[in-house]
Amino acid sequence: MIEIVETGPFNTVQDLGRPGYRDIGVSASGAMDPLAVRIGNILVGNEEGAAAIEVQTFPFSLRFDRRTVFAVTGADGDPLLDALELLSWCAYTAEAGQVLALKHPPTLARAYVSIGGGLDVPSVMGSRSTSLRGSFGGNAGRPLEKGDRIAVGNSTDLAPVPANGLAVIEPAVALREVFPDLVDGALPVRALPGGEHALFPDDGDAFWSQTWKISSRSDRTGYRLSGEPIKPTASIEMRSHGIMPGVIQVPPGGEPIVQMSDANTAGGYPKIAGVIECDLWRLGQARIGSRLRFVRSTHAEARAVEQAVARYVKDVRTTSEMVKRALRAMA
Amino acid sequence: MSGIDFSDPATIAFLTDALTAAGVSGLEISRPGGQLRIVIATGNEARIDVSATSQPAPAAQPLMTVKAPMAGHFCPGSPLRSPAAGRLPRTVSAADILGFLRVGPVLLPLCAGRAGILTKQLAEPDALVGFGDPLFEIEPQS
Amino acid sequence: MIATLNNHMPLREIVPAAQGRARISSIGARSFLLEAPGEFDLAAQRRIWALSQTVRGWPDIAEIVPGMTNLLAIFTEAPEDPDTVVARLLEAWDNARGIDLAGKTIEVPVHYGGEHAVDLPALCDLARLSDREVVRIHHEATYRVFALGSAPGFGYLHGLDQRIYMPRKTVPSLKMARGCVTIGGMQTGVAMLTGPNGWNSIGFAELQMFDPTSPTPAMMAPGDTVRFVPARIEL
Repeated sequence: MIEIVETGPFNTVQDLGRPGYRDIGVSASGAMDPLAVRIGNILVGNEEGAAAIEVQTFPFSLRFDRRTVFAVTGADGDPLLDALELLSWCAYTAEAGQVLALKHPPTLARAYVSIGGGLDVPSVMGSRSTSLRGSFGGNAGRPLEKGDRIAVGNSTDLAPVPANGLAVIEPAVALREVFPDLVDGALPVRALPGGEHALFPDDGDAFWSQTWKISSRSDRTGYRLSGEPIKPTASIEMRSHGIMPGVIQVPPGGEPIVQMSDANTAGGYPKIAGVIECDLWRLGQARIGSRLRFVRSTHAEARAVEQAVARYVKDVRTTSEMVKRALRAMA
Repeated sequence: MSGIDFSDPATIAFLTDALTAAGVSGLEISRPGGQLRIVIATGNEARIDVSATSQPAPAAQPLMTVKAPMAGHFCPGSPLRSPAAGRLPRTVSAADILGFLRVGPVLLPLCAGRAGILTKQLAEPDALVGFGDPLFEIEPQS
Repeated sequence: MIATLNNHMPLREIVPAAQGRARISSIGARSFLLEAPGEFDLAAQRRIWALSQTVRGWPDIAEIVPGMTNLLAIFTEAPEDPDTVVARLLEAWDNARGIDLAGKTIEVPVHYGGEHAVDLPALCDLARLSDREVVRIHHEATYRVFALGSAPGFGYLHGLDQRIYMPRKTVPSLKMARGCVTIGGMQTGVAMLTGPNGWNSIGFAELQMFDPTSPTPAMMAPGDTVRFVPARIEL
């Protein structure tokens, strides 16, 4: 068991989501930074898709009621175990009664707490993610509250976490070749032109060339961007069609919406572009008020980035397992 | 001396794995009473020599060392401390992270393990170090 | 202005999204949307149903989402060559021969009018019909579930009489109740979640249509027939 000692609103249990039910209107949900969840789970010896806690409002703290392996990944900033300052992106073993505390991260948006054995909430339609819109899944279909107690599964990992912890070079550093840094303080987000791109004048120049700000009306469902409104040259009424996280729709007001993890499954607004899937975790770590720019990408580039991410995740898994085995052998 | 049995095939397999993963071509470990040399040949097959030495165990030193827990690249410094904290000598507490051992994308934190004065760093940044290599010297505070 | 067919515009200006031949566009690098050409009708949807069955079986497909005379195909990874994917989808569309799905018939009792029918007066103005006529036209029709989407278990229903088409709102209602019987453009449906909603409400239905713990969570399925039965008319 873990017990939530302190939490802000809208912190939820999430895994890698509930895909496969969009055809009955069920959003996939899942972590806004799925790469952080995968790496956190690998560090604590879980399957990549085990359920973790997504913390997007701080401060947050929880108490372990027994000896537990855990890791905090995703956001920057250093968690505390009782009074001891820890590293992010590092698995540790907590003793019964110890309290893990997360402060507001300096620059990023969402921290993930992975637990050895995973959070043992019921699997609903193949996932432990919380569906906030549907009010099911995760912890009783709702955000975490102070005093909530959540069961922890049994870890099947036989190799113990080293006494001083087991860390990784975080994705933003290890993959800096394929994930370019901020440009003039704006996050570059790669996207491909969408179905109604041609409706926007000058090859969508007003969309691609300006810096957008993530407005305060942004959440797990979508980010509303503020900037100079963009308008298509013709008005159309679209038939409802399936949409995905990353789709950038332009509602009548002209300020784009990027659908995120709790994306609606269907939409009808004109789509000017779609963020490439492997950039969504960076968008998931972008805070309200921060700025971003869309960069025109290609399928080939998206594929290359996907493959680099897959290699990194595989490398983390095989190397961390090998290191744990080697240390156990030498202990 | 630790209880590692260098003649245990499993141990050697783990070490070989570690070396291969770290891209290391070989490793030589000298310990009181024994020496282990693993050379990764092309094709990832390891040649292993284990030999007893007649060297006596060195006398207990007043200095304590932080040693490499396995083979990897030495990364001194801690992300938790300001860069100014990198100067030597300096006072450290047991939980302080002095650096990391990097194996591929994995980082093993190197903790001081005891309170004292950190007097020396014994390996160059990014140097490839072997299991048991001394990395830091800590003088116990009296 | 976009998607702002206001109440004074003639209805024929609701333009079909796709004209001519099937259109394929991208959402990100892994998803492709095929939009059927031509009318928004059962014939086109029957071909979408056939296309869905074909594409669902492709080994590199992660998920498909049939929509209203369109299909979103989600692949497991970004393709090496998007043109090949487009060609495969177009070929599958050309080869798709309309199939009918054997559905069940669902009767939905509706309380027409009353506190939830907030948009009924505007619809009467737009259609130049009395509220009684609007209600009669709505419940006398027989609807087919074309697709599900937007909210868990929400069925997009085809078969709305064009006399009561009503464009989606430019500014959505902020808190429309679950159960509202609504009209959005050429479509009708029952709201599944309480929340913001751009469709126009003309009544209310009490039926439970989604249960996440059931092996078949959604009551409606594509191909089902739906009839709205007036349980009460409060005008």
